[in-house]
Amino acid sequence: MTSTNGNSFVGLVLVSHSAAIAGGLAELVAQVAGPDVAIVTAGGGPDGTLGTDGGRVLEALRQADSSAGTVVLADLGSSLLSVRAALGELTGEEAARVVLADGPLVEGAIAAGVTASTGASLAEVAQAAEEARSVRKL
Amino acid sequence: MSESSELVRLPSSVALHARPAGAFVRAAAAFAATIEVRANGRHANAKSILEILGLGADGGSELRISASGDDAAAAVAELAELVARLA
Repeated sequence: MTSTNGNSFVGLVLVSHSAAIAGGLAELVAQVAGPDVAIVTAGGGPDGTLGTDGGRVLEALRQADSSAGTVVLADLGSSLLSVRAALGELTGEEAARVVLADGPLVEGAIAAGVTASTGASLAEVAQAAEEARSVRKL
Repeated sequence: MSESSELVRLPSSVALHARPAGAFVRAAAAFAATIEVRANGRHANAKSILEILGLGADGGSELRISASGDDAAAAVAELAELVARLA
């Protein structure tokens, strides 16, 4: 990657075993968070199967890269491994602008998206995604 | 430090979900004050989208918006106006 995009809002990368889950969640987050937050998805394995694909995650990370930084949320197990593999392909400088958040995918993405839309910092957006773990639904 | 509180009603056709909830939380986040919303016997931090969504406030619900902090009065006034304008 030669340069970051000029977006001053922290962006999101959503990683799921299912392209439909990632795509649907991106729509939902965009509706709640508004148009300022860049949301890039990496859903499914190679050839449109259910699964994960480090190459697709890497592409998403590069597409989302901005000077404000990127928070990544992933669904289950091997999604996290794909994200880690993709992060390993980034330069140190690029990787320093990315945080893999340890939060639930749906709630974390909503919380992170809305927090990002307020102009919050990378650390604040990642924290919002992680705090989603402790918000009760009932 | 000051405190402020106002009772407002959501327009009958607007639930505090999705886009309206996001707009509300974004507006709340601009204030330093601690802001709480009560509805349906539940309460939520106005700056937490997940808590606001968890209120399940349907159109026509009453919301009690309370704030504590230097800009509490401005926060309550702006959020009350935002709720009234939701469409």
